[in-house]
Amino acid sequence: MYSLELEKVISEIKARNSKQVLIQLPDGLKPEANKVIDAIESQTDAKAFLWLTDCFGACDIPLGLDILKIDLMIQFGHNRYWKTQEW
Amino acid sequence: MTQIIFIDAKWEGIITLEDKLKNYLQKNKINSLALFASVQFSDVENFIKELNKINIKVNITKAKRTGKPMQILGCDAYHDSFETPILEESDAVLYLGDGYFHPKALLLSQVKNNKIKPVIMWNPISKTIEVLNEKIIIDQIKKYKRNLRMYVNAKTIGILVTIKPGQNYFVTAKKLKEFLEKQGKKAYIFVDNNLDLRHLENYPFIDAWVNTACPRIGTDDIVNIRQPLINIKEAGNPIKALEELEFRN
Repeated sequence: MYSLELEKVISEIKARNSKQVLIQLPDGLKPEANKVIDAIESQTDAKAFLWLTDCFGACDIPLGLDILKIDLMIQFGHNRYWKTQEW
Repeated sequence: MTQIIFIDAKWEGIITLEDKLKNYLQKNKINSLALFASVQFSDVENFIKELNKINIKVNITKAKRTGKPMQILGCDAYHDSFETPILEESDAVLYLGDGYFHPKALLLSQVKNNKIKPVIMWNPISKTIEVLNEKIIIDQIKKYKRNLRMYVNAKTIGILVTIKPGQNYFVTAKKLKEFLEKQGKKAYIFVDNNLDLRHLENYPFIDAWVNTACPRIGTDDIVNIRQPLINIKEAGNPIKALEELEFRN
């Protein structure tokens, strides 16, 4: 129903030579999570992981991923957020 | 350093002007629309052409924090969220998508207007129409006004900061603390990732709270807690904010 753009996802992972990828999905797309992981791990050399809980938007990106040596994070369902200086 | 990319995950269907929606718009004599959508439903060139063919003008604007015109985010809940005032300039507001979160932002952005125009929601997947009007935000507005009054009289303020990168206003929080302390008030800054308001009750010495993260915490979540909480946008001049809302019961 929603285009996961898996070809683009695979292409980006290969182009960046990513080894560990974190996937973040909004609630509506979480049931598709296994399709994303399976596609990545079968078509690239990367390991893929899932962010468990909420993803409220592109403003809501997990921090500290360097500790896990995640080199690429892919967030689905949102496009880039332009933060303003002040409210 | 972790790199980040975003995938729109657009709906794979084609958005068309179905008879149900067309009949609704014509029956209600709507000649112009302020059009908004979530990114999943933002391929609307043909849809707009179909509306134009039945003499409905479509107005589009860009919200401050989006990359694309017409797209709306949940934080676009303020009067000045958009580049052009298309809500005022249009007969009606049309939102393409599902869920209430984004359409509610369109209602909230109109609270300072004399009249809050309802939001017509068209779900392209279920092909259903639902109209959201101000009744759905009445309780929030009442609570927010009450919170503003309590904030004005508060002696000790708690300021909430999230570390989420897109919602982090730590510098602004520190400036607010300085501002409040110059007024003779005490202020404390609280930091976390998810701002779970159930934790506010652990700090009974705080008279009122200011949220510097997503403004929908200060509009939607306040109905679930007892403690008064307002958003950072009103914290510098709460009296002005009250005056602007005073006419609204």
